Amino acid sequence: MNTALRDNAPVVAMRGVSKSYRLGAVLVSALHAADVAVSRGEMVALTGPSGSGKSTLLHIAGLIDTADSGNYLLAGTATTQLDEARRTQLRRNAIGFIFQSFNLVPVMTVAENVEYPLFLDGISSSEARERVAAMLARVGLADRAKHRPDELSGGQRQRVAIARALVKQPRLLIADEPTANLDSHTADEVIAVIRELCHEAGTACLIATHDARLTAHCDRVLALRDGVLQ
Amino acid sequence: MNALKWIGFALRNTLRNRRRSLATVTLTALGSAAILIGGGFALYTYESLQQAAARDTGHLIVATKDFFDREEDTPMQFGIEHFDKLRDTLLANREVRYVLPRLNFSGLISNGDKSVVMIGSGVDPQAEFSVRGPFLTLKSGQLLNEDSAKGPDVLIGAELAKSLKVEPGSALTLLGSTTAGALNAIDVKVRGIVSSGVPDIDKRLVLTSLATAQGLLVTDKVSSVGVYLADMELTAATRAKLAPQLGALATRTWEEEAFFYKAVRGLYDRIFGGLGLVIGLIVVGVVAGAMAMAIVERTREIGTLRAMGTSPGQLVRAFAIEGAALGASGGLLGALVAGGVSIALVFANLQMPPPPGRSVGYPLYVSFSPELALITLAAVSLLAMISAAVVARIAVKKPIVEALGHV
Repeated sequence: MNTALRDNAPVVAMRGVSKSYRLGAVLVSALHAADVAVSRGEMVALTGPSGSGKSTLLHIAGLIDTADSGNYLLAGTATTQLDEARRTQLRRNAIGFIFQSFNLVPVMTVAENVEYPLFLDGISSSEARERVAAMLARVGLADRAKHRPDELSGGQRQRVAIARALVKQPRLLIADEPTANLDSHTADEVIAVIRELCHEAGTACLIATHDARLTAHCDRVLALRDGVLQ
Repeated sequence: MNALKWIGFALRNTLRNRRRSLATVTLTALGSAAILIGGGFALYTYESLQQAAARDTGHLIVATKDFFDREEDTPMQFGIEHFDKLRDTLLANREVRYVLPRLNFSGLISNGDKSVVMIGSGVDPQAEFSVRGPFLTLKSGQLLNEDSAKGPDVLIGAELAKSLKVEPGSALTLLGSTTAGALNAIDVKVRGIVSSGVPDIDKRLVLTSLATAQGLLVTDKVSSVGVYLADMELTAATRAKLAPQLGALATRTWEEEAFFYKAVRGLYDRIFGGLGLVIGLIVVGVVAGAMAMAIVERTREIGTLRAMGTSPGQLVRAFAIEGAALGASGGLLGALVAGGVSIALVFANLQMPPPPGRSVGYPLYVSFSPELALITLAAVSLLAMISAAVVARIAVKKPIVEALGHV
């Protein structure tokens, strides 16, 4: 697998990607012939009403779902024919996820949640500790390292989720409504953190959102309606 | 290091729903305790029966080969000659503590008015009763002693004494066949009344001195020789060591002659083996149920971890560790409970009713075997681990998108 990527090549390169779901006897087209390219360090917002196909596009981009047709190159790797083990490996190495409900692991401390992707990568404990400490400092949670997620506010939890997604400096960040459960002030902080860290690390970001403030910070906005990119 | 982290996460996960984990551990502990208490009771029974059998016959029985394999045409046809010499040979081995002669005979015993069938044994009047220990109870009178041949004296079974309406001091007549096939009779005095605990044996039992029995049968032979060792564990090794010293004589171990012990062991092994199997299935069901609930509750978390690149195998292993931790906790607790019960029974002095075919009960004890506890702990942990892994294996294959959408 060639994971090397030229600086000017898109991290995400989708061509004619389609996906349908069967609802009873009806075949519903969730995404139709989508062409998407997201470059290194670029923040792209996906907007559209509920059911427009944002989540489907994010799932396919994040390799947690497969397209029915079309081609998808992630960081130069053709993903369409990969088996589940290779897709798991690619997700582990190249993709970070931020979820609307934070999805932190409650039995792990803040530091352990952030360390988890490094642990999966087999990075040594000493190096992982250093990187976790640096990342927590960047998101302003250095003093919360030993806390459990249920001891944190919503904004703090989302910052932990951001730190967890970006600690391994992935090629691609997938964020699904990252500010939906936050108040406006906290949402601004979270947007700033995502933007800053992604630009610094050159991480391509694909963010599904209804939040106008978030789209305003993105480099590009892709609007979806009925599974079709406008 | 990674393995330790997985174990750490798994252990913390067991504490997420403490009430459910407590219920799982409690049920597993009860199952383990039931296995250990049932198994401990069986072990105690085996030990008691081993002792009874070995004290009755000796750890090793020495006799002619024909004595073991064939039926005699006349009394003492296959008897052992020169017992004194054989005793000296056997006692020269430091593992041997006692060498006791046995002369088996049968015939009639009469009070003058009534004659009944007896099954008798001529024994060493002093040493015999010290090795029999608690497995022969003196109901009245006295045991035989070095002067018993002079009386001559006999001990008779309690049921036989009842049948003949005799008590210590009463006179009786023994009638038997000599080695030449002639009838012989000797007058004896009842020195004591004993019970073996088995009414059918007590109905026929007569014990007398070897000299008296030899006088009745007109022989200087003995039927067999019981060899008592310092330690039951030495039986096989001593048998091998003695073989070249015995010439044409053969040996059997107590176990080969302990038909009742082998029958009980075969029965109990099946009963408690079946019980263990059922309890094992219950443990599997309990842990699988608990893990299934835990997995359903954590479906979204499984989806998150899978999205982040955790492999299904890693997740299955993590759940398997959780299952093993629950099983091991239950197994340990069960072992503690069984140990406590075992100790409590020593002080409780509870009596079991007489088993079928016996006239006396026995104290209820449960042996605590560290080996059985370790095997049970390992088995329960393994079963819990496998059941958790099987449940988890199904769950982690759920599509990630579906898992993330789980509410």
